[in-house]
Amino acid sequence: MGSLFAYYIPTLVVYFGIDLLSAWSLNLQYGYAGVINFSFIIFQAAGAYVAAAVSLGPDTGLNSYQTYIFGARLPWPLPLIAAAAAGAALSALIGLFALRRIRRDYQAAVMLIVSLIALQVVSADVHLFNGSNGLTGVPHPMMTALNLSLSSWEWVWVVLVLAICVVVYVLVERLCRSSWGRALRAMRDQEDAAASIGLNPTVLRLEVFVIGGAIAGLSGGLLVEFISAWSPGAWGYAETFVIFTALLIGGVGNNRGMIVGTLLVPILFLELPSYLPSFGYPGLVDDFEWIIIGLLWMLGLLIRPRGVLPERRFIASREGAGVMTVGTRKGFFGRLLSVGSGEPARLFHRSAGGVPTVASPAGIGDEARPEEAEVR
Amino acid sequence: MNVFLQSIGFGVITASIIAIGAMGFSLQFGLTNVLNLSFGSIMTLAGFVAYLCETAGINIWLGLVLGGLSGAVATILIGKSVFKIFARRGAKLFEMVMVTLSLALIIEYSIDAVSQDQIYQLTFPQGSSFTFGPITVTASQLAIIGIGIAIFAALEAMLKLTRLGKALRAMAVDPSLARSCGIPTDRIVNATWLVSGFLCGVAGVVFVINSLSVDSYTGTLFLPSVLAAAILGGVGSPGGALVASLVLGIVTELTAALGGSAYSTVAAFGVLVVVLLSKPSGVARKVELTV
Repeated sequence: MGSLFAYYIPTLVVYFGIDLLSAWSLNLQYGYAGVINFSFIIFQAAGAYVAAAVSLGPDTGLNSYQTYIFGARLPWPLPLIAAAAAGAALSALIGLFALRRIRRDYQAAVMLIVSLIALQVVSADVHLFNGSNGLTGVPHPMMTALNLSLSSWEWVWVVLVLAICVVVYVLVERLCRSSWGRALRAMRDQEDAAASIGLNPTVLRLEVFVIGGAIAGLSGGLLVEFISAWSPGAWGYAETFVIFTALLIGGVGNNRGMIVGTLLVPILFLELPSYLPSFGYPGLVDDFEWIIIGLLWMLGLLIRPRGVLPERRFIASREGAGVMTVGTRKGFFGRLLSVGSGEPARLFHRSAGGVPTVASPAGIGDEARPEEAEVR
Repeated sequence: MNVFLQSIGFGVITASIIAIGAMGFSLQFGLTNVLNLSFGSIMTLAGFVAYLCETAGINIWLGLVLGGLSGAVATILIGKSVFKIFARRGAKLFEMVMVTLSLALIIEYSIDAVSQDQIYQLTFPQGSSFTFGPITVTASQLAIIGIGIAIFAALEAMLKLTRLGKALRAMAVDPSLARSCGIPTDRIVNATWLVSGFLCGVAGVVFVINSLSVDSYTGTLFLPSVLAAAILGGVGSPGGALVASLVLGIVTELTAALGGSAYSTVAAFGVLVVVLLSKPSGVARKVELTV
């Protein structure tokens, strides 16, 4: 019992928090903006690597057994901020070429290629982040300063991660309800209509990509300071798919649904096998997990495409306002602060092919564009 | 200068492997509109079939055919079951991409479970070496180049000269018009799954013949090159896929030779990015199929 509360429960709760942050980040990008980010995990990885490097110190002396860039010993919480910045910067870099107006299935393919290639490069080049061995020995922040034992420090980290989760939840909910969030959904459901009222889809996509990337980077930083090691084994392309499955099960476009999805898929589902008696060669259980994740996604899409908690129908309106003005001039922070004084979004509250576009059904947005014929 | 020529030589070999896969992918995508990300895992499957053939003492070139057939069977099974179910449900294109990716996971990790996460080495003889100036290639590498050219020629002839090819081209342009003209579109789609699956399998085996090792991630790691070549060459265009593969193969090997072996795929990917930025729907989309 003692060891349960000392290590197992804190680890589980921290993982839950990290996965929840990932799910919100991906939900913002995919659920609200329709951006298919198949390279999500590399932004988390970027955050983790940068947080590790800037808290490990230079790669000489004690750390000379590993080589990495950005070696520094920054006081906490600067490594976490650096992690979020790294995720945002990498997102901006990749978003600049991947988010242009190319076919959406090409976009998904390009993102997947980015994820696969990034893994190959970081594994092969030992000068970046110690190649396939990865970084180890990342210090637990504040542990020596506060003179804590490892088990009590883990509970400190649990509180911190949960607090950050609350902050991020409030942030993404406000973002999604702001005029900027409505602009995202407008773009997701009717890109051409959104463009015709002065929204710039490319810029909107880039904004949501960078914000999601920052959350992803932050989650990576929180994770690496908890488990104190990070290597290419932790961020294969399939990891992104776990979060996508949580998204689909929980309900795409519903931030509370993400809590359900995260509990069901990464936590319950990936934890259950540890109670099974071990069988086969080591790694066989992992293989089955991945196979079932793949099946789960397909079954979810067939049986309950809108998830456990479907996207809520959310119609913003203000008495007497006749003209559609989805915030275009206020800039990002102006839009962030203007929550509540919402402009109407009636333009998008109409049907597309017999289906209301605000609460979009299984086929999330993406009404047929001329170049996108249907699957044969 | 010698390094330059040598890497062009290696580039042509790499290009032949990429091209076989990219031609299959391109044909499949052009006809069915499914961006099939499980292509790489089926390549792995065929690679393992070749490995099993080798351990069973079967000639590797017969293994090549068997690997191709296994790819064809796997592809048509997936196409007729999974893809058809989701297409009937009206899955959007990118939901379909997700479905193919979940299939990739299922196949890849099923192979991983059976192969126990090990790397398997092949040991068949590479044949005698040939020297052309600074370039030295083995007999099996020459054979790979030959297979690439033969497949390109066969595919072109099939598309241009046969009734099947004509029907394929008609369907790529307008499936409903093709159907109303009496073309049995279901059978054409079946033929597409079979042919593209065969090419996918052959690409997997050829990759294994060149690298002499196979594990459960082999095809997935090779998928970026195949995808890049298919998109770069224009969907549904074997000639475009061939040219794009040559460019990508030579760029990859040149970068590796100039010291950045970790970055060789990045360089190839850079070519794709530059092209996609200037031509968002790929180069020469459906050129060959619409002729």
